[in-house]
Amino acid sequence: MSTISAKRFDMEDIFNSLNLGVCVVDADSKVLLWNNWIAKHSDIKETDALNRQFEKVFSESVSPAFLTALKHTLTHRLPVVLSTALHRTPLPLYNASEANQQQTRMYQSITITPIQSQLNESCCLIQVTDSSTSIKREKMLRSHSEILKKEATTDSLTDICNRRFFDAHYEMAIAEAKRQKHPLSIFMVDIDFFKPYNDYYGHIAGDNAIKQVASALKSQLSRATDIVARYGGEEFVLVMPHLPQKIAEQFAEKLRSAVFNLAMPHINSSPFHRVTISVGLCTGIPENDDNLLNKADAALYQAKLKGRNRCICLPLCETEEYLEQ
Amino acid sequence: MSSLTLVKTNMPVDSSIKKLLIVDDSKVSRMLIRTHILARHPEWVIFEAVCGEDAIELVDNERPDYCTMDINMPGISGTDAAERILSKYPSMKIVIFSANIQETHQNRARSLGSILVAKPVTEKSIALTLDYFTNSK
Amino acid sequence: MSSLSELHLDALAEIFSIGAGRAALSLSEIVGDEVHISVPYVQVINSEDINATTLSLNSGRFGAVSQYFSGPFNAEAVLLFTEEQALKIVSDMMGSQMGIDELAEFEHEAMCELGNIILNACLSAMADILHFTLESSLPSYRVASADEILHRLKKNSNQPYVMVLHIDLTIEKRHTTGNLVFLLSSTSLTNLVIHINQFLGSIS
Repeated sequence: MSTISAKRFDMEDIFNSLNLGVCVVDADSKVLLWNNWIAKHSDIKETDALNRQFEKVFSESVSPAFLTALKHTLTHRLPVVLSTALHRTPLPLYNASEANQQQTRMYQSITITPIQSQLNESCCLIQVTDSSTSIKREKMLRSHSEILKKEATTDSLTDICNRRFFDAHYEMAIAEAKRQKHPLSIFMVDIDFFKPYNDYYGHIAGDNAIKQVASALKSQLSRATDIVARYGGEEFVLVMPHLPQKIAEQFAEKLRSAVFNLAMPHINSSPFHRVTISVGLCTGIPENDDNLLNKADAALYQAKLKGRNRCICLPLCETEEYLEQ
Repeated sequence: MSSLTLVKTNMPVDSSIKKLLIVDDSKVSRMLIRTHILARHPEWVIFEAVCGEDAIELVDNERPDYCTMDINMPGISGTDAAERILSKYPSMKIVIFSANIQETHQNRARSLGSILVAKPVTEKSIALTLDYFTNSK
Repeated sequence: MSSLSELHLDALAEIFSIGAGRAALSLSEIVGDEVHISVPYVQVINSEDINATTLSLNSGRFGAVSQYFSGPFNAEAVLLFTEEQALKIVSDMMGSQMGIDELAEFEHEAMCELGNIILNACLSAMADILHFTLESSLPSYRVASADEILHRLKKNSNQPYVMVLHIDLTIEKRHTTGNLVFLLSSTSLTNLVIHINQFLGSIS
């Protein structure tokens, strides 16, 4: 205690002024420190708590999970947290309330940390905070920021990324591919004969078709690095790094067949009479002035010209590789 | 499927020599069990199997007296293997070694006519195992 | 690099499967139902070689619980779960105690606790079996994208090695997978190998 009393404050005053519960127990879980906060909320005076076994201090039961956690900390010397979500009210602590009112236990967040006494005994520091207030605060903050953040990058109809997110992501993906000299594949996707579909089936059905196509495209993705975004109207775009040309072409075909296999009727789409897509793919290692997106769009245009429900792949630049093909 | 090891010692064969089968996919775990058992019973003959399927085959061929069985292994689970072995050879003693000592596992072991001993393999858990092998009826 | 043999990795796998068993027991006490955790395999790799596939990171956001620990070797241990899956687990764990609308507010803390249970179980199994003591910080939780996580792992030149444990977690009927990643300096990896060698020496 010499280091403490040498300071300008009495540490005990500080403990007792803290707005959280502080308690120290020794290896036999006997209470060595019991601050005012915990005394107030448990309605047990320091003198009645000191040197008694922690769980026997209270007249009501302490949760088994708390006792297990305490035991773990004492044995393994590793800190433990007990969250409000999973435990709610491990200790019989109460908020002072109006007289005659039914008392309910305080929601608590608890941390138990191993500490060493000056006699080299292994002890535990137990800290308890009242989480009812933080719950309220978090609720408010979250309802604002999280929703806004998600809305800013998500397309509200399809729940895939929106154009804004794509624009930012595309720029980053190009920069990364240039720097790392790895290939990047851009797939432009457009629903075939979408205007006739809307005209015949109505806008609600049209929206639904867009949703279904979006989710079919999304379900083809499995890597963290890949994204699918709604580019506009009935147009989608996928960005996928690190695909060899051949795999990219196979993937384009996978996209086409995924939508084809939805087998959504489309009476004004010959010859299959179902909803189909055309896919334009451009894949390659971007250099200075290359524009993957334009090339993918040009490929999509060719796919449309060649009769739709198909994939066309254009190389990034007219290299020998292309000429050989 | 081939890592069945036979460990023999120079001790003369007599009736107290027991055959023990260690079933565990972890080599380290098998080494640990073997080391601890041989420290107490250097004369025992020890077989090892790395999966339940091998264990079942080995039991048919070698007819061990005792067996330690891990639960999580490639192929069938240790409890399933123990169940099959015990239904065929009810007099065999099997201890299921597991890090997972939740009640459901304990109950399952008991219902098979076996017991569950908590990993890690230590002198204490080996003592429990040996006690079960030699003292239970 | 201090290379790890098959036997070293096998010892680590055994240690962590014991840790997983302990964590499962603790979690089952909280949820009051059977919990299954296994560690199908352990890898030690150069942090430069780490990628989305090594960590089987699918797209989306991840919840990461970290603890710094020290002892005979120091490391940062990070437990990664897909955020969406993690939330479902936590909501299952809370059972009927709390409505789903209340869940979000508790996510951080509950994830911290889930991570803390698994991390402590793995650390304590390692400490018990390899006979040393470890100290650890309290867990912290953050949400990050796969890119951010990989970026951080790769850019950390002080810790050129990572030990990756793949974790399968099944609580009630929900199954999920995660990764426990230890970021290690060369010295720490060497010290870990020394301790494993001592342990193996005592049994062979």
